[in-house]
Amino acid sequence: MALFSNIQIDVESLPKSDQLVLVPISHTYFKIIILNCIIAYAVLIGALSIFNIFSEDYIINSLFWFLLGFLVVLFFISLGFGYLSFKKRKYAFREEDITSSQGYLVHKIVTLPYNRIQHIEITRTFIARKLGLSTLKIYSAGESGGDVAIKGLPKAVAENQYAFLTKIINERL
Amino acid sequence: MNGYNFEQPSRQSIKGIIVIFGVTAYKIIKGTIVVIAVFLLKYIRSDKNIDFLSFKTVGISISIILLFLIIAFLKYLNFQFYVKDDHFFLKKGIFNKEEISVASSKIQNVYIKQNLLQQLINVVSLSIETAGDDKTEIEILALPKVKANALKAYLLQSKAHNDRLNTNSLEEAVFYKASVKKLFLEGISENHFKSFVLIFAFIIGIYNDVKAFVEQLDLNAVFGSWFQLDEESLVGLLLFNISIVVALFIISFLFSLVMMFIKNFKLTVKQKEEGLEISKGLFNKINLALSASRIQNTTIYTNKLKQVFGLYKLSFTQAMANKKQQRNFNIVGLNRGQISELLHQFYPKVEGQIIKNRPNIYMLYRLVLMSTVMLVIINVLLFFWSKLFLLINIPLILYLAANAFYTYKKSYYHLDNEYIAIGGGRLIDTTTSFLEIKKTQAVSLNQTLFQKQRGLASVTIYSASKSVTIPHINLADAYRVKDYLLYKVEHENKNWM
Repeated sequence: MALFSNIQIDVESLPKSDQLVLVPISHTYFKIIILNCIIAYAVLIGALSIFNIFSEDYIINSLFWFLLGFLVVLFFISLGFGYLSFKKRKYAFREEDITSSQGYLVHKIVTLPYNRIQHIEITRTFIARKLGLSTLKIYSAGESGGDVAIKGLPKAVAENQYAFLTKIINERL
Repeated sequence: MNGYNFEQPSRQSIKGIIVIFGVTAYKIIKGTIVVIAVFLLKYIRSDKNIDFLSFKTVGISISIILLFLIIAFLKYLNFQFYVKDDHFFLKKGIFNKEEISVASSKIQNVYIKQNLLQQLINVVSLSIETAGDDKTEIEILALPKVKANALKAYLLQSKAHNDRLNTNSLEEAVFYKASVKKLFLEGISENHFKSFVLIFAFIIGIYNDVKAFVEQLDLNAVFGSWFQLDEESLVGLLLFNISIVVALFIISFLFSLVMMFIKNFKLTVKQKEEGLEISKGLFNKINLALSASRIQNTTIYTNKLKQVFGLYKLSFTQAMANKKQQRNFNIVGLNRGQISELLHQFYPKVEGQIIKNRPNIYMLYRLVLMSTVMLVIINVLLFFWSKLFLLINIPLILYLAANAFYTYKKSYYHLDNEYIAIGGGRLIDTTTSFLEIKKTQAVSLNQTLFQKQRGLASVTIYSASKSVTIPHINLADAYRVKDYLLYKVEHENKNWM
């Protein structure tokens, strides 16, 4: 297999990331996805309704129920995709790196080695705080988006991992 | 050394007042150009005759200029810098005092630049780039060139104590100087479509602003007779459109050529111990230091025409350089031998070793599919507009087919002990990018639903400036590439900078 030239190590013997067991994020995060979806569509439907009430235009008035139905269908489709992509939100910590995966249409599995971490942070939105969830963000020096953000971690897990990573960074220096 | 004592607080050159004034005026004019244009337009439209020499207008203008001169003078007075205890200090601000200090070890780079105004009064600006955030902007607007060079050497010298002995003994060898002929050939072999799009967008952009103005000029009366627009004959319309396109193409061609000269005038590359030094520019003279440790990606560009002339462009991306600066890290007009030499300096042993691993044929299918979608959309639009234009399909289909084929054919990746090389390009352009494995920041494996059905994936490798992507390879290979890169980064534990 001429995949790599000048090879010194047996690629087959390397730790395999396709056999890595990724841990799903908290179930509660799906509530946030539903809530975000509801808020987004409520705003759209609300705007449409207000526009309909104040508009004298015949075309808009006759199209209103059609548009409303369309938005409702779109809402359920979004929810469906929300569920599918929620199922893809996973993460894993290994000895040397951290992996997070997300996305249904485009599934992206990012791995960031610990020795490339620049800094870490925990953020919590209002809803996440109410549900006891946190987002763990791990930044590399990459300007181009090679960062890891694990949303929907239980607060305790996020804080444990934060402490764990901080320890690793401090030992490195 | 050089007779300058940088430990004592010093101001910039007295000429700095002019530069500060110029920069402020430029910023204000740039910000209010629309307002000024509107007023001017109103003035032209109205029949009022404002006396420009009246006491009131002259008085207002002079007092505004005076105000800015005073501000510039105060800015100059309150701007002081010095170096002490391995720290660079800068005090500035008239009412809001600001004091900035930078540790020498945090200084990443020192740039010396010269814009048109600075060239006229013979001063240079010196800016200091620090590690980390790009918000802190340290720029001394006006220094005599000798003093700027001395300060630059002083700052960089105290940064690296070990290099102190080397800096003086090292002879700066000029590696390459771009001749006028080279620049001319580079200019005419540029991708003129790019300039075309740029000019087109510019015209569309300002069209609305100047619409009223153009209407005043009554272009129709002048040009209408040439093309018999009144008759609205199809031939006349066609001729009118074609001549506009041709004129735009000629302008684009000249634009690329002129831009090439403005950007790369007197392009000189010097080889140094730790990297390269590039200086270039006609109106804005810039001087960039390129250090090997900070280089992230290196890309070789060429196209069909440039290949005939034997011209190649080498462009670098650097970690921790701001976006505006990033675009200047390139050298045009190199020949094959010079490319090899420079590559050898930064990526020893990579040339001639490259094994081209091809992407899956799915990439070609995907390109064909996307071209077809584009073709259908264009055709639907044309169908409703004018059936005559459907003829455009003949060159368009040929172009899209050839483009898809060559995009696929030119795509490859190579991986060895130290480097990643990615080949790419389209019908006309060809690019080759290099990245050292140790500069990898993160690796991601991406899979679309369509790729999943075929058992394919793409791998994106993030560096500290730009990412590179290996497109459409077998999932198993993608996993192995990712595992290999992670293994190298984690176990060799080399510094990325």
